[in-house]
Amino acid sequence: PVLPEGWAAEKDFKAVGQLTHATDRNIEPVGPHFLAHARRKRHKRTFSEDDRI
Amino acid sequence: MSEEESPAQRVAIGISFGNSYSSIAHTSGEGKAEVIANEEGDRQIPSILSYVDGEEFQGTQAKAQLVRNSKNTVAYFRDFLGQDFKSIDPTPCHQSAHPIQHDSTVAFKIKDTAEGAENTVTVSEITTRHIRRLKNSASDFMGKTVNAAVITVPTNFSDAQKEALTKAAKDAGVEVLQFIHEPVAAVLAYDARAEAEVADKIVVVADLGGIRSDVAVIASRGGMYSILATAHDYDVGGTQLDQVLMDHFAKEFIKKHKSGGDPRENDRSLAKLKLESEAVKKALSLGSSANFSVESLSNGLDFTSTINRTRYELLASKIFAAFTRLALHAVEKAQLDPLDVSEIILAGGTAHTPRIASALQSAFPESTTVLAPSTSPTALNPSELAARGAAIQASLIQEFEAEDIDQSTHPMVTVTPHLAHAVGVLCISGDPASGVFRPLVEAETPVPVRRSAVIATPREGGDVLIKICEGVREIKVTKPAPKPKPAKDEDEDDEDDEDDSEEEEEEIREKAWRVENVLAEAALKGLKKGAKVEVQVNVAADLSVQCFVREVGGKGGVRGGWSAPKPVENGSI
Repeated sequence: PVLPEGWAAEKDFKAVGQLTHATDRNIEPVGPHFLAHARRKRHKRTFSEDDRI
Repeated sequence: MSEEESPAQRVAIGISFGNSYSSIAHTSGEGKAEVIANEEGDRQIPSILSYVDGEEFQGTQAKAQLVRNSKNTVAYFRDFLGQDFKSIDPTPCHQSAHPIQHDSTVAFKIKDTAEGAENTVTVSEITTRHIRRLKNSASDFMGKTVNAAVITVPTNFSDAQKEALTKAAKDAGVEVLQFIHEPVAAVLAYDARAEAEVADKIVVVADLGGIRSDVAVIASRGGMYSILATAHDYDVGGTQLDQVLMDHFAKEFIKKHKSGGDPRENDRSLAKLKLESEAVKKALSLGSSANFSVESLSNGLDFTSTINRTRYELLASKIFAAFTRLALHAVEKAQLDPLDVSEIILAGGTAHTPRIASALQSAFPESTTVLAPSTSPTALNPSELAARGAAIQASLIQEFEAEDIDQSTHPMVTVTPHLAHAVGVLCISGDPASGVFRPLVEAETPVPVRRSAVIATPREGGDVLIKICEGVREIKVTKPAPKPKPAKDEDEDDEDDEDDSEEEEEEIREKAWRVENVLAEAALKGLKKGAKVEVQVNVAADLSVQCFVREVGGKGGVRGGWSAPKPVENGSI
């Protein structure tokens, strides 16, 4: 969409809302992507930290 | 360090342990999963044990004993493991050794020694013997002693059942590294292929077995799987299809031989009829006609007959419809629409039946891919999926310490918030009513997650507003105007009768997005003509979001974020 006239925000970014609450579910502990996720979660790493290793 | 438990010494395989059949698989040097054939050349090994003069037979040899030695033959015992006698259904065992109550568990009375004395053997001992044989077959094939395995179990297998299976396997010298769910193993078997691409999709796994059928609806998100709903049916399976053929051939036999009597009324005749009917059913999955022939079926009379596939499909149409109903029911249970399903994976022996695949394909929209040998050239063998998935998982974790595996599979790790709604970008117009929502992160995606996409901007370039919103999927039903009919209620789906499916053809159902909640706005100024914009969304584990917007090929960009919804905040702000 085209930027409306007179739209302004700090650093051109405006947060309006928040995510709706999520539902807690079980991930199946299977597959390479899960194992990577488990590793990140156990070592409390983020995606970018994980990429660096 | 003991030799057996050290991860370096581990030789792990994948085992799919079923009521009717079991399979074993390993991963070859190149990381490809392969199902191992036992010494009889079978990849699908019947889960049957039989004793003749103290000698133990398993697999196909034991299955043949169902005719002459049914009382000392144990079959269909997997679901009895770790169960209370009162809670089991002994129906499948009518033609073999009957289960009896023994202390708190289930046992069988069989003559398993050379002396011919009747012994009471618990179901867990039977399982141990079965797993030991599977282990030996795999060890012979691989040339090294197998001592660990990943075993597949149904999604409704209780902890007590898992515990009993762990113990039975341990007694057979097999360390259970992990139990994985059968439908998830099937998805993994497909996703682990070299040509497979990890995508965000909803997969329905229909595991059609011998004496039970299970359907699971799985959200596959970036290679991670969450089960949304499951449905189990113990009344439809391969046995019902066998029954259809048994009744058909029995009636033919009676018509032809007036003096022969009903082969279903004599135990031995019935066993012969059943074995041959199963063979005919398998032949009909491959060819368009099959031969039925049994020597001395009843009263010493031989019987030969043929049946073609069309006839068989007609006879079994009710059962085929039940499979479709079960799949639709599971989708409904997950509060989804058939339109949301992008793939149906057919697993289990009964899934070889071409008609079941085509019935599912017509019950689901054209956009849904049915992965079965008859509908997709890239489909894998449905009987092998669970064992393959288990083998892949085994190769992934066999180097791990047991403690590592325990910690990784702990609920602390597996229970994760999943997004309730899709997060995406509003295109075309800033007004939610006329804009088009394009999802970046699908609903039911576990967090943390990072997704990015490239979107087109207005042709003339200039200043652009990027609006990030939450969207809800809706089913838009448009009906051709001339025939006004009462709107179809979603609840009626499970009693999908013929009128219903006719109605469905008249209306056009499609997926549409409704913008629920605007999350953020970002401005990109002075874009070139026809520029594309890259949007990246990063949802953290606490549901706070960072996003980053920039012109493709351009410098800079806009970065911003917002916090998590209130009650999950930990008070640090």
